[in-house]
Amino acid sequence: MNPEFIRARSTVVKLVRRFFDERGYLEVQTPRLVGLPGQEPYLNPMWTEVEEADGMVHRTALITSPEYALKRLLAAGFDKVYDLGPCFRNGEPWDGTHDPEFMMCEWYRKGIGIHELMDETEEMTRSILTNLPVFRRMTVAEAMKEYADVDLEPLLGNREAIAEVCRAHHQTVVDTDTWDDLFFKIFLSEVEPKLGDVPTFLWCYPASMAALAQRDPDDMRYALRVELYVGNLELANGYVELADPTELRARFEEEQALRRSLGKDVWPIDERFMEAIPKMGQAAGIAFGVDRLAMLLAGTKSISDLMPIPARERF
Amino acid sequence: MASTSEIKKGVVIRDPQGLWVVNEFQHINPGKGAAFVRTRIKNLQSGKTLETTFKTSETIELVEVEHRKMQYLYHDATGHTFMDQGTYEQATMSDQDVGADGKYLRDGMELNVTTYEGQPIALELPRKMVFKVTESMDATGGNTVSGGNMTKEVTVEGGIKVHVPLFIKQGENIIVNTENGEYVERA
Repeated sequence: MNPEFIRARSTVVKLVRRFFDERGYLEVQTPRLVGLPGQEPYLNPMWTEVEEADGMVHRTALITSPEYALKRLLAAGFDKVYDLGPCFRNGEPWDGTHDPEFMMCEWYRKGIGIHELMDETEEMTRSILTNLPVFRRMTVAEAMKEYADVDLEPLLGNREAIAEVCRAHHQTVVDTDTWDDLFFKIFLSEVEPKLGDVPTFLWCYPASMAALAQRDPDDMRYALRVELYVGNLELANGYVELADPTELRARFEEEQALRRSLGKDVWPIDERFMEAIPKMGQAAGIAFGVDRLAMLLAGTKSISDLMPIPARERF
Repeated sequence: MASTSEIKKGVVIRDPQGLWVVNEFQHINPGKGAAFVRTRIKNLQSGKTLETTFKTSETIELVEVEHRKMQYLYHDATGHTFMDQGTYEQATMSDQDVGADGKYLRDGMELNVTTYEGQPIALELPRKMVFKVTESMDATGGNTVSGGNMTKEVTVEGGIKVHVPLFIKQGENIIVNTENGEYVERA
């Protein structure tokens, strides 16, 4: 254990909290244990049980992110909220950038768009990593052109077209590959590793990767989604939030269908969350990996260095 | 057919374009997408290097390779020369093929070498190696890429640069992880 690293993580948590407190955000400790966790097809919640005194047992999961609870707070009338606490994800590689229990700061603000969201994320990050240069903002299509020499536009929604590009770029193409899988083969091989040392916001994702982001009203083939990369680490993932209940339900149903096709378990849509959504209004929010920020401050490439007890010693 | 979980440094993959040795690999979970294994592979016939990414659920064809105990002899213009400790046969790997691992090689050291049809294709370095710090400046501030200020760069035997905590001094022995070039702890 290196005491400097332990201190670095503690410092980062304090600084993140101070940043949002000074800007009038309300910190809310939302529940870690919920009955209906996020249904993202590629995230795996950890399941347990909550038992009442009379023996009634509730199937319960640890949250993968505090997203649903924070959006319900927006719907209840709060304008600027954040949650800073542990989140839990199963089945991720213990490769230095993941820990099954990691510290996330997720914040939401009403009335802002994608650029204001990037502005605030940059200000927060640079308030802690004070010698970072100004962040670059690239759309996903720009990054694909710049680093992989791929024109994304004609490939959107066309699996056969992107499969052809994959083959030309010496990627495997198998029957079970979705459009998104094929996109990622190129992106992970040729774009992400080349983003380099300039902190970069990648934004404007293909609509198939919208998750819970609104589609871009000016071009519905894209979604108002953004990710932040610093020093080859993915630090944050944010959206202008989808607030249309009909489209949201369709997205959840698609997620459930994809989970089923991947052989994963599926649980019901959180109807209390669905009821709240129309009241949420226009808002944007982002989930930020605090441990990764601390890794950059401390100058370590392993999240385990920051943990008082690393995953390999805990389990 | 093999699972992508068997992808490691030095395994050889066969595809329609020939045989490829894995030089680097990394498991990636983008969260927003499926789990993948990103690799850097090199064609054993043409020497061409590529970045290619497999979905973890894919199957791949792996080719049998040998692991031989060898001694590192020397470096010259043709590359790095090793000797099989059983047969005393010598084999040379070019600087390009040895890649970043070359800096960890020390004359006379013993290590396992992955070979295919007798030719060395990948080194299996000890995961942790001890090095003496030969040059260390007293840190006055951060010099890491992302603005960290808790580490400094020192030079160890063989001219290797390593980021270490501030308390490490010249003349001390440190343990370095040869997989990623990172400081582990004081030796």
